[in-house]
Amino acid sequence: MSRAFDARVDAALADRQLKIAVERTAGTAEAKRGAAIGAWPSFGAARERAAAIKDHVIANLGSYLVQFEASATASGATVHWAETADEACAIVVDICRKAGARSVARSKSMLGEEIGLPHALEAAGIGRVETDLAEHIIQLAGERPSHIIWPAMHKTREQVSALFHARHREPHVEESIVAMAASARRQLRGEMLGADVGISGANFLIADSGQVCTVTNEGNAELSLVPPRVHIVTAGIEKLVPSMDHAVHLLRLLARSATGAALTQYTTFYAGPKRAGDRDGPEEMHIVLVDNGRSAMRDEGLAEMLRCIRCGACMNHCVVFRQIGGHAYGGTYPGPMGSVLTPALDGLAANRDLPNACTMNGKCQEVCPVAIPLPTLLRGWREKSWREGLEPVTLRKGLGLWAWAARRPWVYRTGVRWAIRTMRLAGRGWIAKLPLAGGWTGGRDFPAPAAESFMDRYRKGER
Amino acid sequence: MSARDAILARLGPVGDPAVLAAEAAGLLTGEERERPVGGEDLVARFLAQLGQPSVAATHARIGSLAELPGAVAGYLAVEGAEPALWLPPDARVDGLDWAGLTRLADCPIDDGAVLAFARAGVAETGSLVFETSPEAPMLPNFLALRHIVVLEVAALVRWLEDAAPGGAVPRAHYWVTGVSGTTDIEGTYVRGAHGPRFLHVVLVGSPS
Ligand code: SF4
Repeated sequence: MSRAFDARVDAALADRQLKIAVERTAGTAEAKRGAAIGAWPSFGAARERAAAIKDHVIANLGSYLVQFEASATASGATVHWAETADEACAIVVDICRKAGARSVARSKSMLGEEIGLPHALEAAGIGRVETDLAEHIIQLAGERPSHIIWPAMHKTREQVSALFHARHREPHVEESIVAMAASARRQLRGEMLGADVGISGANFLIADSGQVCTVTNEGNAELSLVPPRVHIVTAGIEKLVPSMDHAVHLLRLLARSATGAALTQYTTFYAGPKRAGDRDGPEEMHIVLVDNGRSAMRDEGLAEMLRCIRCGACMNHCVVFRQIGGHAYGGTYPGPMGSVLTPALDGLAANRDLPNACTMNGKCQEVCPVAIPLPTLLRGWREKSWREGLEPVTLRKGLGLWAWAARRPWVYRTGVRWAIRTMRLAGRGWIAKLPLAGGWTGGRDFPAPAAESFMDRYRKGER
Repeated sequence: MSARDAILARLGPVGDPAVLAAEAAGLLTGEERERPVGGEDLVARFLAQLGQPSVAATHARIGSLAELPGAVAGYLAVEGAEPALWLPPDARVDGLDWAGLTRLADCPIDDGAVLAFARAGVAETGSLVFETSPEAPMLPNFLALRHIVVLEVAALVRWLEDAAPGGAVPRAHYWVTGVSGTTDIEGTYVRGAHGPRFLHVVLVGSPS
């Protein structure tokens, strides 16, 4: 492993607080999703349909972008295009400057994090109010998000309490999560309503109507986007869907996969600025369509990754993520989806450890609501890294052996079964030392794999 | 080359919108929707969904709009809340007798109650559907502590797809399926993160 990744993983594993915090939220999310999907017999068919919808859009992305541009423009919005993260940030900063903005209210957007928008706003001297509770917490802490749905997943309630006591004007008195949330409500209210510009991402862009869909359970998107004079949307080009009905199908999968609810509390479809006679709403609406490597991903074997609807289920169910949390991954996106995306966004050479830090247990693919073959895509990165000579000699030997075995399924299966048996014997249910990943097991708690490998269960039809 | 042209050049030729639309429509059948509720009573299903933990709304039923002020006053009294609320600039509220309730001139921004008329309700999820217009501002529904929503029984639809705007696309079309909640601290659910902490639906129309 590279030194930087190694050090981050070691630090994460040494942090007991982190383990407690991640386990509390991810464990709850896993249980709630399990109950919701368990009560939906057609989940399997629904996710195949969702994958087909996304594949259809990705294959015809140029056509849908042109259609969206025309319909959004007709609704009164201004559409901008950005090839890179820097271009996108420059467009946003320019709109803010023209609007004379001193402060912006931002509703959580992973695309915004991906393009470095918080930093770009700061560099331009524009104040930023993060309105999502978790984003507010990490803004106060000066940290990056560690999860795409729960950005402050790495913080325990005790840590949040200390932060609010240090930074809020009227912090909570009673030590409870309810009181802490109320403290944030008091702190954020005025700042949110007084912002000059509201900035959001988009969960979906509706091609035939030009609508931009946002989904939140706090209602902070609406509070951030309706009062200011200007609303700016930054969205990846893969967010397109043909119509609202297609968005509805995906929304059903998104909510259940993320939080276990049938639908998220607030789902809003925006179309342009305020109309004649309206009492609220922005005077200008701008939509920045961001490529930042997506069109290249489509044509370089990662088209399936563009199906991702950012639900977070793959990381909640990942044994590696549950041990090390999100920050150790080093990129904007953590967990299995991040391990596929980060090498594409930030380069393979610096991120070759990510696809290697995977147990290939297949759980992520099993829970993904758009059926992304995450293990296959990770394997693709491993092979590319090996072909390009990025792996150190010792690992190249190990991977060569792995590749040889992988091409001979019976050898591979026998090997995996043998390894599982050894681990269970050695650790009596807890692995003391994981072969080939010694750097991040070193005597720490690591859950043993299921008694049967994924492939064993797969063959028995237990998907 | 502009960024637009460069992106579109990489993505390849633009196809015929009519052909694409037909192909896209063919991808949707709606057959995986949870519980195909063929004969199930829409009202019963809607009320059951309102009671789900993620929605957790209360409700009352009245026969006609004339009973609305009484139902609202009753709700606020039971909750121990001030007998005051903000009413939208909608002609439907003007003909009613609001005596006994204070009509607030401005929408309360952190406490108090607001009333709103939903354009539709969705039995599938217990969602309330709103659209912005001069008579229906959006912000009040996200600011006050108590969100009181009036919904006609006749405006109930079965699926989310059935709630889509019929004619021109409104500036904002939004679905409310519960209150402002958060699970951002240790995954623990807290109500009233930024907006309403309580959602109360007044269903208008003949009880089934
Ligand atoms: S890869 Fe799949 S499971 Fe992971 S965030 Fe994306 S849609 Fe969700």
